[in-house]
Amino acid sequence: MKGRLIGILGLLGFIVGLPLLMKRETQTASPASADDRLVILSPHNESIRKEFGEAFASWWRGKTGRSVYVDWRTPGGTSEIRMVIDAGFKAAEETGREGIGVDLFFGGGEPDFAGQAKAGRLVKLDVFDDMPELFGEGGLIPETFTGERYIAAEKDWVGTCMSQFGICYNPDFIQRLGSAVPDEWKDLGEPIYAGSLALADPTKSGSVARTFELLVQGEMQKGLRDQTPESRDQKMAAGWEEGIRLIQRMGANARYFTDSASKIPHDVGQGNAAAGMCIDFYGRSYAADLINSDGKPRVVWIAPKGGTTLSSDPIAVLKGAPNMALAQEFVKFCLTREGQRLWFQKPGTEGGPEDRALHRTPIRRDMYEAETLALTTMPGVNPYEDEGNFTYDRALTGKVFNTLRTLVKVMCIDSHEEMKAAWEAIIAAGMPEDALVVFQDISKVTYAIAGQGDAGLDSKDTMVQAARMKELGEWFRANYREARRIAETKGARP
Amino acid sequence: MMNRKWAWGISLAVVALFAVFFLYPAWMVVKQAFQATGADGQKAWTLDFIGSVFSNPIYCEGLWNALMMGVVSTLLTLLIAFPLALVAHRYDFVGKKFLGILVLAPMILPPFVGAVGIKQMLGVNGAFNALLIDVGMMDAATPFDWLAEGRFLGIVVMNALHLYPILYMNIAAALANLDPAMEQAAENLGCPPWKRFFRITLPLAMPGVFAGSSLVFIWSFTELGVPLVFDYARIAPVQIFDGIKGLEKNPVPYALTAILLVIAAAVFALAKLVMGRAPLGTAPRPKGRSDGQKIGGWKGLACAAFFLGVFVIASVPHAGVLLLSFAERWYGTVIPDELTMRHYIEALGNGLVVPSIQNSLMYAGTATLLAVIIGVCVAWVVVRSDLKLRGWLDALVMMPLAVPGLVMAFGYLALSQEGKPFHFLIGAGGSPFFLLVLAYCIRRLPYVVRAAVAGLQQSNPALEEAAKSLGATPLRMMRRIAIPLIGANLAAGAILCFAFAMLEVSDSLILAQQAQHYPITKAIYTLLSTLGNGTELAAALGVWAMVFLSVAIMGAAVLGGKRGGLFKV
Repeated sequence: MKGRLIGILGLLGFIVGLPLLMKRETQTASPASADDRLVILSPHNESIRKEFGEAFASWWRGKTGRSVYVDWRTPGGTSEIRMVIDAGFKAAEETGREGIGVDLFFGGGEPDFAGQAKAGRLVKLDVFDDMPELFGEGGLIPETFTGERYIAAEKDWVGTCMSQFGICYNPDFIQRLGSAVPDEWKDLGEPIYAGSLALADPTKSGSVARTFELLVQGEMQKGLRDQTPESRDQKMAAGWEEGIRLIQRMGANARYFTDSASKIPHDVGQGNAAAGMCIDFYGRSYAADLINSDGKPRVVWIAPKGGTTLSSDPIAVLKGAPNMALAQEFVKFCLTREGQRLWFQKPGTEGGPEDRALHRTPIRRDMYEAETLALTTMPGVNPYEDEGNFTYDRALTGKVFNTLRTLVKVMCIDSHEEMKAAWEAIIAAGMPEDALVVFQDISKVTYAIAGQGDAGLDSKDTMVQAARMKELGEWFRANYREARRIAETKGARP
Repeated sequence: MMNRKWAWGISLAVVALFAVFFLYPAWMVVKQAFQATGADGQKAWTLDFIGSVFSNPIYCEGLWNALMMGVVSTLLTLLIAFPLALVAHRYDFVGKKFLGILVLAPMILPPFVGAVGIKQMLGVNGAFNALLIDVGMMDAATPFDWLAEGRFLGIVVMNALHLYPILYMNIAAALANLDPAMEQAAENLGCPPWKRFFRITLPLAMPGVFAGSSLVFIWSFTELGVPLVFDYARIAPVQIFDGIKGLEKNPVPYALTAILLVIAAAVFALAKLVMGRAPLGTAPRPKGRSDGQKIGGWKGLACAAFFLGVFVIASVPHAGVLLLSFAERWYGTVIPDELTMRHYIEALGNGLVVPSIQNSLMYAGTATLLAVIIGVCVAWVVVRSDLKLRGWLDALVMMPLAVPGLVMAFGYLALSQEGKPFHFLIGAGGSPFFLLVLAYCIRRLPYVVRAAVAGLQQSNPALEEAAKSLGATPLRMMRRIAIPLIGANLAAGAILCFAFAMLEVSDSLILAQQAQHYPITKAIYTLLSTLGNGTELAAALGVWAMVFLSVAIMGAAVLGGKRGGLFKV
């Protein structure tokens, strides 16, 4: 008995001791011994956190001789962060405090930061006064690019790098499907992708919602460019409907809608999905890491033609930051060349990241010169000079941002079972026209009704909104069931 | 019978504890389901959202699917767990001790990577398809999509294979408390084995069956992770999760949560009414313990093969995680085509890991201790008192199982902000120790309560009364008589409580804010988001956690072995 007990305890001791023996030392000071402390709320991945934490600590030590402990707060993705900030500021308001004990909010989409700015939770950034060469006419960071905002109008947030939604695909899988490789959003609506498409969920992320908006706007812009006799309004309406139908077909092809940024490239890399909607740096990172034994990548990422913008990934200082001065310094660090290098240089290069390539595009124009690009994981890239860029026009679809997101939920996510079943039946029956017409009926959400924002879906009154969602949802599901019925009767008749 | 003063005291204390640390934070979040915001921004109380859930076919279907998922998963779990427990109870076969512990392993699947493990095994290019292609049973050009076809069945099977240890432990404990004389008497009187099972063994083991099934039912009724792996979105827990995380501030997910809670409580109460009563008021204590009938030859091997088979099938996701943690590249092959140790070196060497182990042991250990103390007290009132409210008390302590983790976590988060009522729970330097201990304890308490209730129902109060009448103080009576008699049950409950507290996700992610306070689950989550080999790093730390928990459980089994075996496996 005693022997066994000692054996078990010894084994437990060994298991617990193993990590103790293997522990590595890091640069950053421990929380107790640090001279300064910076609290950063961030949805950035661990690799970005680690590289920026360590690099800032040594930059700060070089500048002031003081050590700093970076206290990263990572409750989850952007939706959890939003809830944490909301809970904090709600309590702060009720108890008369100014801040929530957090210095910085680092990473996310422009809509997330715009929302916090609107709620008055961000402070003006010093970097605009201290590094004037970056901003203004001909500055290194443009105020807007591809129609996306890189600098807040109120100067309370600024982009530190850019990102872009695109398509990632698995070449083996595409080959097995016998399809051509996708190069625009429209390709993902092809029935050959049925059941093998991975889509991001626009209801949980502002940036994904923006991507769906761009997809619709892409169709509208295409129509407006054409030299046809219709009026501008007619072209807009036709483009809108084309965009909504494309979303429908993509939704019908989808396996799921996920809020996990890494799930999509992972599933594509593992061959659980043929293609998916994926943010650039995850796509590039998986493409670099998942290599087949023959040396070919398992994931390829592309920016779809004419349907994606380069949006900024911002940073902001929160109101009532405990260490306001240091927080402002961190923002400046991110915009120095030292900070910017971390985003795209190869690990181990001069001034680059220590452990891992981050595969992201820095926001300063002057980073894209030949000498620096040679040190990076993306030597051929210069987003500022890419001819294929698409420019977002807020005037076209800005008002439908909320409507569109809720519409995707009602039309595709909530109705996914009926939608998939109908789509499969339609494909099996050889795409009969009459079934497709019913399947793609969007007469309740035409441009005239919803193109400027749907009154019901956008309503501030939650009951009105719920009623409209239910009405539309039932209508779409009835259509899908009917389309399935038509297709199945067609399929039964040879 | 229990002293009424004591019973009232305990009941009030537990109700107060639950009111403050469970109902209040849950209500803080769920109340949104009962508040409407008009166009003018004014808030008003309403039942409209509850109504709108029931009038929307999507949500009705989601609730119905969840209910079916719960019922069918429980039945299938029972179908696996009861034969296992019965075989272990009746027979002594080769390798029984080891196998009895081995079949408990599947419940300790580490979070986040468990899903990846399943996909590595069952995905289109997963190990299983690769195997079928290798042996010529599948065409490489048209691999079968296991996760997309027959999802309901897939989820049910996965639930059952994950949850059967809960039922197995509870039934094994119940069977261990049976008086073998009862079965022997039936046998001597010529009762055939099947009849003996249905007339004697099953009714006597009913407290354990009920204890385990109610846990399994509520778990699978509210299960989120498995449906997400299968991309099955039309089921209430996934609808709640999607809604809570949505940008829309929509009250529907909270209304669904409230409805889920009421259904869980109703099913629990109904089931208790039907099958939860103690079969015999004064069951005699087993006068002797039989280790089961020794069987050798092919029969013994068949028993061993049964155990081994269940273990192997249930460990498919675990095998996926294990292989992933060693994989340099694993794509379209049965096992990774290149193996490496580098993920372990990197993961275990990470500065987060050592403190997170310390933290998790502290949080989960303290929470388990607290849960055992509270759980025994509650069970005592439920079984040994004649208070009218004891049924309510029993249902109340089961409720934390049915509240989504995110709801509780955000309730605690909102209330622990500076200047809010729970702020005193935040320790020096922002330590979430008390907050997490309370959260873990309350959410894992049902495992202890169910196990203790089942144990008390089977043990004979006459023994306790005898001790009292011979002058033992209540404490001494508890220590020397009552607790040892339900030791097997308590061990089962405490093990489940500890293991699931170590693997808890939502509270750990949201409430442990600073790196030095992270529990293991948050360390796994952090590693997961490393670029490049994040999944493999998370798998490596996940494997570490699995090994640690397995050895800890084995240790408990060996220690328990002194008294004739942990739930006599």
